[in-house]
This record gives sequence, structure tokens and C-alpha cells, in this order.
Amino acid sequence: MRYKIEIQSLSAWFGSKQVLQDITMRIKENVVTAIIGPSGCGKTTLIRCLNRMHELTPRAKVTGRVLLDGEDIYGENVDPVTVRRRIGMVFQKPNPFPMMSIYDNTVAGLKLNGVTDKKRLDEVVEKSLRAAHLWDEVKSELGKSGASLSGGQQQRLCIARALAIEPEVILMDEPTSALDPTAAAKIEQLIRILAENYTVVIVTHNMQQAARVSDFTAFLYLGKLVEYGSTKDIFENPKSELTEKYITGEFG
Amino acid sequence: MSRIIDTGLEELSVMLCRMGELTYETVSLSIKGCLNGTSVYSQIHEMSDVLVSMSDQAEDKAFELIARFQPVASDLRTIKSYMKIAYDFARYSRYALDIAYINEQLGGLKECEKWISEYIEKMSEKVLNMVRTSIDALRSHDTQLAKTIAKTEETVDKMYFEYLNKLIEEAPATSKCTISSVLIVRYLERIADHATYICESVIYLATGEKTTLR
Repeated sequence: MRYKIEIQSLSAWFGSKQVLQDITMRIKENVVTAIIGPSGCGKTTLIRCLNRMHELTPRAKVTGRVLLDGEDIYGENVDPVTVRRRIGMVFQKPNPFPMMSIYDNTVAGLKLNGVTDKKRLDEVVEKSLRAAHLWDEVKSELGKSGASLSGGQQQRLCIARALAIEPEVILMDEPTSALDPTAAAKIEQLIRILAENYTVVIVTHNMQQAARVSDFTAFLYLGKLVEYGSTKDIFENPKSELTEKYITGEFG
Repeated sequence: MSRIIDTGLEELSVMLCRMGELTYETVSLSIKGCLNGTSVYSQIHEMSDVLVSMSDQAEDKAFELIARFQPVASDLRTIKSYMKIAYDFARYSRYALDIAYINEQLGGLKECEKWISEYIEKMSEKVLNMVRTSIDALRSHDTQLAKTIAKTEETVDKMYFEYLNKLIEEAPATSKCTISSVLIVRYLERIADHATYICESVIYLATGEKTTLR
């Protein structure tokens, strides 16, 4: 199995406050990697550094390297927009564009990139909604507003929207924390299916979710990578006492 | 503030320690019975029934903890080990019952030559020590103590095979004695195995390390 992303000595700041300290880890291709840790440990910042979203925050700074297929995404001539196209993101709260239909939400990215061919757009809408396991539920009402869907459906619409741009990596920031258990379970099943074709990195503060959906787990604490290994090892026999204490609920 | 799961783990631990003490009494009584030629079968039967029921209760409690708390890391290892240990304790009592049964049916070792009862007494002392070690190691999750069992386990194994060879060389006067003594040393050897499994489980729950002490 090859590595899709290699994070090398990555540090990040908000102004003078350092939130990530010298993170080095390699993320395998076509697996689910979970990032866990208590609130404020830097897990969201870490994934926002993986598609150059961190730098969109005023006074944010990043040092170190993030290699995508061996190439530094922070390299001199790299366009962050191209990076974000290859590394899509799904957020905590489902955020479909409220004024847009399901159809338009799905291909919003494509349209922004100037694709207007109706046949092509139709194909992408169906393909993406199918991949997000939403197609059967919405195929007869693609003109309806995205905001009219249930929370879980909205999140799957956001996943479809991310998939429409054909990314290679999908970052998910607490993708089920605003959903009810049934909707969350569907997203978790979907994450497993997505890993067949995509590299998935998920931030979650639900440890059982990390244990269920991921192949590898990284534990972050106070901006440092404490432990990273197979999910089986982390949840059965963690090496670090800090990891043990966090996952068994002694703190956090 | 202690975690909610800790109350359940503590209950399970207390349950197992009680089982441990009762199994010690059961094994020790059954050995005494066959060495002295006294009937202890009905008493052992009752104790064994209690132990089987305690083992079921421990398993139910462990399942409840898994279902309600989704334990991970050392919590998960502890529960897995406790379930195995509860089973090992139930096996102790089963072999104790088997020994008592042999005593009841074949007259134990009282009809055997002196060297046989002396040999088995010596072997049973070692096995009882192993049972004690397993219970004490479990109570304090003492991995160092658990590791010490390996040596006695080796001795008991040797004694078992040595006994079989000796029997071939010096055939006892009665076939009753041959049968009862062979079965008794076999059961003792199995009790020693389970004591060793318990010590392996103690090491696993405390460190995550899967060791073989056999």
C-alpha cells in the first residue's frame, strides 16, 4: 500500500499561538485515517493544512511540508485551488447552498469551473449522488432545494458535491456530529465505501466512530502527534499512556 | 471523579476474586478427599454448581459492560481476560469434581501403594501453589508473580510424564489404583494448565503482551 500524503514537520499558528507542533506522519492511499483528540488539540487545523485551507484564516501560518503523491502542496508554483480540487472537504454542519436545487448543489463546483455542458452535468449529478448513496432518495426531485432535505441527506449531498469534482482525497471534519444516530450510521457506512476509491481522512471526537470507520488512527494532544498506528492497535493496546487515558475516558 | 465503567469493572473483579477463593477451597478439598480416602463428592458438587453459576454471572456482567460502555484499550483487555479467567476457574472446579468422582467410584488413592499417594501428594502441593499464584496474581494484576508460574508448570508437566513412566515400570497391585491415579494426575496436570492460562491473562490485561508461560 502506498502513501498518498506525507506530512513532514508540519507546524501551524494562528497569529502568535502555535496550534500544531512538528507533525510528521504518512497517510496511506485508499484507507480511512481518523484523527482523534480533545477539543483544541489541533485536529481540525491539521486537516485544514492538508488542503491549504488553514492559510485562508487571517494571520494563520504554516511551516513544514505536505506531500501529495510525493509533491509538496506548499511548493512555490502550486496553486492552492488545484490542491483543493484534488483534496475535497466535508464539514461538521451540512452546508448545502440553501438557494440552490439538489442538482445545482451537486455540480456547483463544476459550474464554478466553467462546465456548462448539460449532458456532462447530468452524468456527474447522477454519478456523484449515486456515489454518495443519495440518488435513490432524490432522483425524482432534483429540482427541489437542497435545504429541504433532512440533515443526513444534506450531509450526503455535501459529500456528493465534494465527489463531483473528482477529488483523490476527502477530508471530513466531524461529518456526523450534527446528525442523529441513524443518519450518522449511514454516513459511516458511506465512508467505508468511499475508501475503496478515495483516501479518506476524518476528524472526529467520537472515539467509537473512529474505532468503527477507520483503518488507522492518529491521536493528537496539545498540537502534538502522540500516537499513530492501526486502529486495532490504538484501541486494543495503545503504546502511550496518554492515548490510553484519552480513549478510555480518563480525560478529554 | 471515577468513570462509570470503573464501578462495573470493580464489581467484576470482586466477583472473580470470590470465585478464585472458592475454587481454591474446592480443589484443595477434592485433593484432600482422595488422599485421605474421605467422601467429599456431594460437597464438591455443590461448590462446583455455585462456581459454574458465578462464571455465568461474570460472563453476563462482562457482556453488559461491553454493550453499555464500548470499552477500549486496557478496559477491553481486562474484560476479555476476566471472561477467560472466569472460564478457567469454572474448569478448576470441574476437575475438582472429576477428582472427587474418581475418589467416590474407585476409592481414590487409599488402596494404592505408599509411593503413589506420596507422589500425588507432592504433585498436588505444587498444583495448589499454582492455583494460589493465579488467584493472587489476578487480585493485584501482578505480572511478576504471574511470570513465576512458568517454572512450576514445567515441573508439574515433568512430574505427570514421569508418573506415567513409573507406573509402567512399577505396576500397582490393583487396576483400580492404576486407573484412579492416572486420572487424578491427569486432572491435576489440567488444573496446572488453567492456572498458567490465568497468569497469561493477567499479563495480557496489564500490559497487552500476549505471552506463553507453558
